[in-house]
Amino acid sequence: MEEQALFVLAERDVADAERSGYSDYSYWGSTIRVFMKNYAAVFCLGLLIVLLVFTMVQPYLPAQRDPNEIHLSQETFRQLRNVRPGAEFWFGTNSIGQDLWARIWSGTRTSLGIGIAVASWNVLIGIIVGTLWGYVRKLERVLTEVYNVLDNIPSTIIMTLIAYMLRPSISTMVIAMGVTGWVPVSRFIRTQVIIIRDREYNLASRCLGTSTGRIITRNILPYLVSVIMLRFALAIPGAIASEVFLTYIGLGLPLHIPSLGNLINEGRQLMMIPVMRYQLIFPSVVVSLITISFYVMGNAFSDAADPRNHV
Amino acid sequence: MKQPLLSVADLYIKFSLRGRVLTAIRGASLDLYAGETLAIVGESGSGKTVLTKSFVGMLDANGWVDAGFIRFAGQDLAKYRGDGQWRTIRGKKIAMVFQDPMTALNPLRTVELHTPLRGMAAKDRAIELLSQVGIALPEQRYHQYPHEFSGGMRQRVVIAIAMSCSPQILICDEPTTALDVTIQAQILDLIRRLQTEYNLTVIYITHDLGVVANVASRVAVMYAGEIVECGTSREIFYNAQHPYTWALLSSLPQLGIKGQPLFSIRGTPPNLFAEIKGDAYAPRNSYALEIDFVKRPPCFQVSPTHYARTWLLDPRAPKVEPPATIKHLRAKFVEGALCK
Amino acid sequence: MQVSKEVLMEVKNLRVEFKGGSKKPFVAVDDISFKIYRGETFGLVGESGSGKTSIGRAMVRINEAAGGEILFKGQRINGLISKELDREVTQKIQMIFQDPMASLNERAKVDYIVAEGLYNTKAYQSEAERKAMVSQALLAVGLLPEFASRFPHEFSGGQRQRIGVARALVMQPEFIIADEPISSLDVSIRAQVLNLLAELQQQRNLTYMFIAHDLSVVRFITDRVAVINRGQLVELADTEDLFANPLHPYTRSLLSAVPIPDPALEQAKVIIPYDPQSHDYAVHKPSWVEVTPKHFVLGNATEIQEYRQRLA
Repeated sequence: MEEQALFVLAERDVADAERSGYSDYSYWGSTIRVFMKNYAAVFCLGLLIVLLVFTMVQPYLPAQRDPNEIHLSQETFRQLRNVRPGAEFWFGTNSIGQDLWARIWSGTRTSLGIGIAVASWNVLIGIIVGTLWGYVRKLERVLTEVYNVLDNIPSTIIMTLIAYMLRPSISTMVIAMGVTGWVPVSRFIRTQVIIIRDREYNLASRCLGTSTGRIITRNILPYLVSVIMLRFALAIPGAIASEVFLTYIGLGLPLHIPSLGNLINEGRQLMMIPVMRYQLIFPSVVVSLITISFYVMGNAFSDAADPRNHV
Repeated sequence: MKQPLLSVADLYIKFSLRGRVLTAIRGASLDLYAGETLAIVGESGSGKTVLTKSFVGMLDANGWVDAGFIRFAGQDLAKYRGDGQWRTIRGKKIAMVFQDPMTALNPLRTVELHTPLRGMAAKDRAIELLSQVGIALPEQRYHQYPHEFSGGMRQRVVIAIAMSCSPQILICDEPTTALDVTIQAQILDLIRRLQTEYNLTVIYITHDLGVVANVASRVAVMYAGEIVECGTSREIFYNAQHPYTWALLSSLPQLGIKGQPLFSIRGTPPNLFAEIKGDAYAPRNSYALEIDFVKRPPCFQVSPTHYARTWLLDPRAPKVEPPATIKHLRAKFVEGALCK
Repeated sequence: MQVSKEVLMEVKNLRVEFKGGSKKPFVAVDDISFKIYRGETFGLVGESGSGKTSIGRAMVRINEAAGGEILFKGQRINGLISKELDREVTQKIQMIFQDPMASLNERAKVDYIVAEGLYNTKAYQSEAERKAMVSQALLAVGLLPEFASRFPHEFSGGQRQRIGVARALVMQPEFIIADEPISSLDVSIRAQVLNLLAELQQQRNLTYMFIAHDLSVVRFITDRVAVINRGQLVELADTEDLFANPLHPYTRSLLSAVPIPDPALEQAKVIIPYDPQSHDYAVHKPSWVEVTPKHFVLGNATEIQEYRQRLA
């Protein structure tokens, strides 16, 4: 029997057992790989990229109309009001004869711009204030008091007040939403920081004499990547929704700057007339697509950025 | 031969994790006899918790019994599906006590609300149970919240809950790891007392060989999802046959000599995602034979109650002496054998 | 082990408090005093909640001392100290943590984790030197230098704990506080880490304070042991002396409960319960008395009398 020959003590280096499972792990590499496995999220990401790129290039495409141009009938010289979607006007025209197709893409451009600007600002300030609030104990009292004051003033009031005081414009919108928008973000970040600040690895860093700034950037923030990304992804549609709201109460952008808020507001007034509902439906679909995409993508990314899911 | 109360044969349990399959239990076979105390020893990841969780249908949602059977009360538990079926077993016939009592208790409920019983008779029964597990003033304690109890007391409450349906088998998963040594001894005594009172069969899952020595009548040693050695407590401590059991025993600081290095197992346990060829322990085993890398060892019977999965027990294998450090444990066995 | 009579670390009447909101502060430990000599392994044993971790953390200055003094080579290191001393102490006193799963930064590579202290002290001239120091530290704890480019989650518990040791070693410390360094490891891995600590001590003449609840480990690794109960030291002696002649009833109770991995002995073991009410301290307050040379115990006059008789 040949098996017999195998009954001898094996001459193998036991130290080999130490070299277990080598892998080329990289955090961002694995994050992207896990994200790519979520097809719904990849689809949403693709959709958003297409949307973003399209809004950018749309004005330079051939046969595009100016969003503010009022189209007149060649024969009667009357405004081509509420023309239904067709070969001439793909998405139809609005109540004063402006091309809805051009207005929607121009509006999406404006709204996405506002959303990204506001979300970046709020998340950035929220992270800075939130980490200091959560990690630096000396600042805890002061920042808690500041928070209590700011949080007790309804943000809608501040927002409306600012929109009211300043002239309606894109920057007014951004300022109005950015003045207090970071407050809930900072509170959220603070809670996250408090959860992890006394973990042993942070104590270990303190033992090694690591400075607070370094602990925040190397120990704390990397752990919060996934929650921050989710927060950021949700803040963009959040800002667009605020813009729609401000427009709804009459403090939005002037009509010559089309935005999704403006368009929805216009469409809303025609909601009761079935044949004109397209004026509400088109911008609403775009807002919904943006919101859903950011939501799905944000969740998928925050899952992917969690190394527990990198197995 | 006694009839086993619960019998596991050739059990395979697998988990699916992100598209990959992890084999947590690889062909484990085990008999549990009424009234005994079986200790399952092994490192984290050896599958000891997974194995016992499969007895009560508490595997995580991504896990399943792939092959083998779990025979209990004339039924094959491995075929059970859905909570409806499991509810007839879980808690009623087989109850479980976990390591950390705080996670087993709802912090927003008083002890009163934790017992599955209702009504006046239920209250009496609950108070009776509390006093049985050694909680002083059970009438007052009955209305308190978990945070008002110390760690040891909480574990007693958890045990009382586990006992409330008079199970036949009590599985204790590291019941004392989170507790101090003095409290630990009390909890072990309590379980022992309940065991004789109710004719319970107890399974301990632990990595603490001190606890094993204290409570176990039989011991099963697990490594990488299989039971590598099983025997009476004395057989395992005094006459171990598997090199992994030797290694576990000789790495105990109690057996170490001050100033000299302790025996230590090098390397890390195998990757359970990968297919394991031959003996899972072979790469770390300084007594490994060439055949260990080729073919999985079968179970060799050492005595009617003692078996081990190691090629060293094959008649063709070279004679290998166990390490010197565990010799004096072994000496006791010889002594005991002579006394008999 | 060359144990000299040089006092490396001294704790005098240490008090650690935790403030919980507006309530009265919780006193974790009070009036703790002991000395640690260069080259020895000093054990601090107690149950959970006894305050042993608070003492260790006060010594590495994670926790502030509410009272008393902590002296390193005769210099006070708690409270306000000079920048130079602060830097020296940060480098010379290091800590190994209990849970290797929680004590490593999961988002950093081993290279950064091990070199973290070096970045802070700037103890290297060039990037190449820093890398070499990291490789050396990894080799010293039995890991391969190539592990530096990996992340902690790729390692097993024992390996992770060794990374934790390497991180401390790279600072060239003189004194290491090991807070339950093996209690969350598997039995088979514990020996690796214990051996490593003993080996490093011999090579580098390190001094350890070993905080633990497991007396069998303490007996194996320490030269002297202090027993702490509810924030107070109750007994301190050479390890073998303490295990042979435990005097304080708490120590006796603790020793009697140590699990023995031997069924015959374990099942025959009798546990001595400890009743804190058994001390009659209403009239005669207890004090910290050296009963025999190097064997200290907490007790009042009557108790000390009794302890002396027992030893005689």
